[in-house]
Amino acid sequence: MSVRKIKAPKKPSKTILPSAYPQMTSAAAMGLLQALRNPQVCADAARIIADKAEDLRHAVLGHVSRMEQAARDFDLPAVFEQAHEIRGLAGNAGLAATGRIANGLCKYLDATQRAGVKPERSLVVLHLEAIARAARAEDEATRLGNTVANELAVLVDKKLAEINDSATG
Amino acid sequence: MSGATFGYLKALVIEDNVHMRTLLRSLLVALGMKQVYEAANGADALEILRDKRPDLILSDLSMKPMDGIAFTREVRLMEDSPNPYVPIIMVTGHTERHRVEAARDAGVTEFLAKPITAQNLFLRIAEIVERPRPYVRCENYFGPDRRRRAEENYTGPLRRHEDNGGETESI
Repeated sequence: MSVRKIKAPKKPSKTILPSAYPQMTSAAAMGLLQALRNPQVCADAARIIADKAEDLRHAVLGHVSRMEQAARDFDLPAVFEQAHEIRGLAGNAGLAATGRIANGLCKYLDATQRAGVKPERSLVVLHLEAIARAARAEDEATRLGNTVANELAVLVDKKLAEINDSATG
Repeated sequence: MSGATFGYLKALVIEDNVHMRTLLRSLLVALGMKQVYEAANGADALEILRDKRPDLILSDLSMKPMDGIAFTREVRLMEDSPNPYVPIIMVTGHTERHRVEAARDAGVTEFLAKPITAQNLFLRIAEIVERPRPYVRCENYFGPDRRRRAEENYTGPLRRHEDNGGETESI
């Protein structure tokens, strides 16, 4: 005799409306909204980000050195970790192309790890070299940096599609 | 929730990278927040959460020993959570879909992708203040309603109990 599994009925979900949970007072909310819309506050905040760029650029260069060391040690998780730090900081350091290339490397390493396939060494090396070169360039925002970032992005997309195909096929 | 006026609002910044942490803190101070606390990971942040009870949290995703997803889950689900409804903005460089979905399913309120801009950060905070979302409690989730709006032309699966004729309870 076969035993039929009976699915237990789902418990109803409970919705808690904003009026029923603790929030900041309306006076505080009003003050905060005024500050958020104050052009002077917005300009000051934008200047704070711009002023931080040089510090962040030094930080990115430190992560690039650590990423290169991790690559020499064949420590792929550490390469990912450093590339992730780079993609997080590079944009605010004025290193947009570096950030895009690091993002591509992270996406690729993440996809290979999830699919349980070995990353292609040549693709990883290509990214490592491009990241290092772009981050250390005097003027990273050159057409060259952006071209390299674009071409590597196309390559990564192609590899991600291959990984996806082999996983679903 | 603290203080009657804006000056008394408290914020917590959780970020393992000291440069990014300082930057986020400076932006909140520029906004006029006087009490901005910092933590380098989720475990340290839980201590501050209990002690200081912030009104707003900005959290990174990747941190050790406790990352932003585990931290959010703890805030939302632990029995002695000081405020399971506290808004959490996840500030992250992660663009992989599965990570974003994991953060959403842990109960994150808003996402802010790096590189950060003052405009984007302020928009997320304004969204939280102006349009606070209902919270949903069900068998496997507690957090802000993940359905941001009712799509008239939605054709995907209807997974909620009430979608299939069941009842929901609103308070």
